[in-house]
Amino acid sequence: MDHAPCTPAPTAPPPPCDAPADAERRGFLKITGGAVALLAGLDAAANTETHAPPPGGDAYNWEEHRWAYVIDTSKCIGCGSCVRACKAENEVPEGFVRTWVERYISGPGGSYVDSPKGGLEGFPPVPTAFTPTKAFFVPKMCNHCKETPCVQVCPVGASYRTKDGVVMVDGKSCIGCGYCVQACPYGSRYLNPVTHTAEKCTWCYHRITKGLKPACVEVCPTSTRIFGNMLREDEPVRQIIDHERVSIMQGHLLTEPQCFYLHLDMEVR
Amino acid sequence: MEHARHVFRVVLVVIVGLAAILIGRGFLVPKSHGIFGAYRADNVAEQMKARLPAHQGAASCTPCHKGKAETRAAGSHKTVSCEVCHAPLLRHVAEGKVTGPMPVDKAFTACARCHRKIQGRPEKFPQVVLEQHVTTKLEGAVCLECHDPHSPKL
Repeated sequence: MDHAPCTPAPTAPPPPCDAPADAERRGFLKITGGAVALLAGLDAAANTETHAPPPGGDAYNWEEHRWAYVIDTSKCIGCGSCVRACKAENEVPEGFVRTWVERYISGPGGSYVDSPKGGLEGFPPVPTAFTPTKAFFVPKMCNHCKETPCVQVCPVGASYRTKDGVVMVDGKSCIGCGYCVQACPYGSRYLNPVTHTAEKCTWCYHRITKGLKPACVEVCPTSTRIFGNMLREDEPVRQIIDHERVSIMQGHLLTEPQCFYLHLDMEVR
Repeated sequence: MEHARHVFRVVLVVIVGLAAILIGRGFLVPKSHGIFGAYRADNVAEQMKARLPAHQGAASCTPCHKGKAETRAAGSHKTVSCEVCHAPLLRHVAEGKVTGPMPVDKAFTACARCHRKIQGRPEKFPQVVLEQHVTTKLEGAVCLECHDPHSPKL
């Protein structure tokens, strides 16, 4: 907007040199400023979180729940009932699991880890080349992290964490890029071979929002798996997390898992 | 104004571009996106009713199978859900009506999943070395020849 050289333009008649340049500038700024403000307003309107009623209607209020999960590895007998129940409940495709059980056998001479079909059909006895001094099972699943790497990498907003603390995948939005499958440090996600979208444990959201427990918790015969609402002081999960020495999987990643473990060995990753 | 014509041209292009982006966004971004966060809010309600709960727990069996339920509740399998050896209730009952026969796994392999002696189980948990415990042929429902699965202690 520099009008200093007052020479005639090649195609237009010379403008008056004493034209009110300030007024012109003011007008221009007004127009562009107004346009920017309008666009910013439109964008803000599109992105503002409104106080919409929580999903689920009167039957379930997600503001009143914050779900958490406790796994007591010292109780697990490795029967795999949880794995079978999860697959039946959620129609998990052949060859994939949403929860699985790992077995750790170790001694001074070495260690051995297995999880045949995720523990779907239990575990066989195994010969080990070393003399084991300890052996135990570790059930694993999605940790429903507060700081979720899988949600952060989703390019289309298909992965998200609900207000009651459940990480889920919107199958209609998912484009099947698989970033989340790679981002999850716990290996909890897979791409469904039929729909080609990412799937994972939902803590049986269709059950917990109806007052039922997740299928894996429902069938566990030894109470290894405990699930509940952290907002209620009388819930066993809250009691355990408040009073016992609990640990989490791969804490150094700062993902803030909401699956808490009792009696977890340092061998487990 | 004559001098600023090129600027207005650029501004016009920018405005048209932004308008195209906003209109395109309106078509491409799902309706309920952004209500609770950067995701489609409708999916939360969709997940709630994604499927019918298949497992209903042991209490759901009691009304029709009172005898078996009492035997189980008094025995050492009181913590084992019926649906572990049988199948999810939904295979058998839907909307309060029997829809088909309830499957059951009577094979020794079903018992072995919990009670075969393997590395890893807590020591106090009852386990047997199958080959030593079963003196006859290890096949089919051999365990049930001696044990009642609803109250297995002899």
